[in-house]
Amino acid sequence: MSTHATAEATELDEGETATFGMWVFLATEVLFFGVLFFAYVMTRLRYPEEFASAGRHTDLTLGSINTGVLLTSSLAIALAVRSVSLGAARAGAWLLVATLALGAVFLGLKSLEYWHDYTEHLVPWLDFAFAPPERNGAKLFFYLYFVMTGAHAVHLIIGLSLVGFMLVRLWRGRIDAASVAPLEVTALYWHLVDIIWIFLYPLLYLVSRT
Amino acid sequence: MKAASLRIYIGTWVALMVLFALTLASSFVPLHGFNTAVNVAIAVAKAALVALIFMRLRTSTALVRLAAVAGLAWLLILIGLSLTDFLSRY
Repeated sequence: MSTHATAEATELDEGETATFGMWVFLATEVLFFGVLFFAYVMTRLRYPEEFASAGRHTDLTLGSINTGVLLTSSLAIALAVRSVSLGAARAGAWLLVATLALGAVFLGLKSLEYWHDYTEHLVPWLDFAFAPPERNGAKLFFYLYFVMTGAHAVHLIIGLSLVGFMLVRLWRGRIDAASVAPLEVTALYWHLVDIIWIFLYPLLYLVSRT
Repeated sequence: MKAASLRIYIGTWVALMVLFALTLASSFVPLHGFNTAVNVAIAVAKAALVALIFMRLRTSTALVRLAAVAGLAWLLILIGLSLTDFLSRY
């Protein structure tokens, strides 16, 4: 009786092991982006006025729409996991399609935004718009802007590939209520990418808009 | 694995959108230097909602919660200890 209880207390099922593994990986991702966030904090404390004037030049409209898009995509994939684990594979597949579509919209708008940044001379290494004395601080702001949103976009592209792969597996009946773990950990990754954006949005788009 | 009800998921999304509107609107109101603090506080609340409901930490096993908290704890050590050095210089 006691051995049985011990075995029960220490054994994790496959899904729990996968979830745990993904969270360990996500912790390393938090630290990866954490370094960039710390670089931002340090630089902003050093150049507060420059960050204020540079921050007013990011595209607030596109950045805000993308925030709404990504938050909604998180709902879509959370509902997809829920549907599949309740046995509604078809609804789950459509929700994954919605997730993919919202992710694609985000990337499309982000590309458009990069194009605007380029035409407005906000790329620090290409005929940069800001003159001294603001130049150095503004340059650092836009370096951080491109590195942080760029790293985020790369993660989103990886997320899109994973969700696409899950959709194919779901289609072929490889994922169902009994084996939802791969889809679940993909959703965890997607949500983390959303959380990163939740912090990028105020730091890059809402600086000194008053 | 326990799936939360549809109402909880939709409610979480509504809360996220309300917080999003709040953070956007508050940025246009001068708060005497507290705009950034408000924005970061709202971002923390949004992240907590996503982590607890969508990522289901609310109902996760202790082991999974530990892994999640470990990432956050190391991040706070990284930023906190580095800032003690940095803030004492300027």
